[in-house]
Amino acid sequence: VVDEPDLQLRRRTYAFLVEHGRAPVAAELGDPVETVAGWRRLHAEHAVVLNPGTDELRMLNPFSVVPTAYRVQAAGRWWYGNCAWDAFGICAALHADGRIETSCPDCGARRWSSSFGTNARTTIRSSSTSSSRRCAGGTTSSSPEAG
Amino acid sequence: MNLFRSEEHIVRWLAGREPGATISVAKLSELSQAWWDDRVSPDWVPHTREQNQAILERLGLTGAFWQLA
Repeated sequence: VVDEPDLQLRRRTYAFLVEHGRAPVAAELGDPVETVAGWRRLHAEHAVVLNPGTDELRMLNPFSVVPTAYRVQAAGRWWYGNCAWDAFGICAALHADGRIETSCPDCGARRWSSSFGTNARTTIRSSSTSSSRRCAGGTTSSSPEAG
Repeated sequence: MNLFRSEEHIVRWLAGREPGATISVAKLSELSQAWWDDRVSPDWVPHTREQNQAILERLGLTGAFWQLA
């Protein structure tokens, strides 16, 4: 269970991310010791994800704080998603159209992008072919997260 | 979750390994809207397992793979 003070900390953390396009360090949200303690509690409740060794933010789902293979252009910035689901989730969370850039895990070299509208229109383009609607989101080994 | 060019690419990439589940990009966008829409809202509170499971079921994502722990 996340209590109200920790919910507020989470709100301020996400608000900082959206405003600045990067995750805050603890001192940017107030007393760093209290902030890290709150982040640890939120981590335990799967509301944020910390680097275990440093207590720095690693994921603010659906956003990744570190570079990944899923790059998203939305709301005037570039972001990183933790996976395909999260990449689309960034557009949903920001209530913005966006473009997702990644590469097929199979053929790798082919980079392609998707545009995504809040009206759920999806178009897929390949850098090497003019148009394809056969692209698929595939899940492989993990179950859907609970968060 | 990975994004592939086509189902043929998924099969080739799996190389005989057991597949998870495959959904279309259109379904993925629907799922993302339902799952993440409120994530940066000031009113966000954690979803319950039941709420999340209901999202999956509403989108027709049923079966063992889509059962939340």
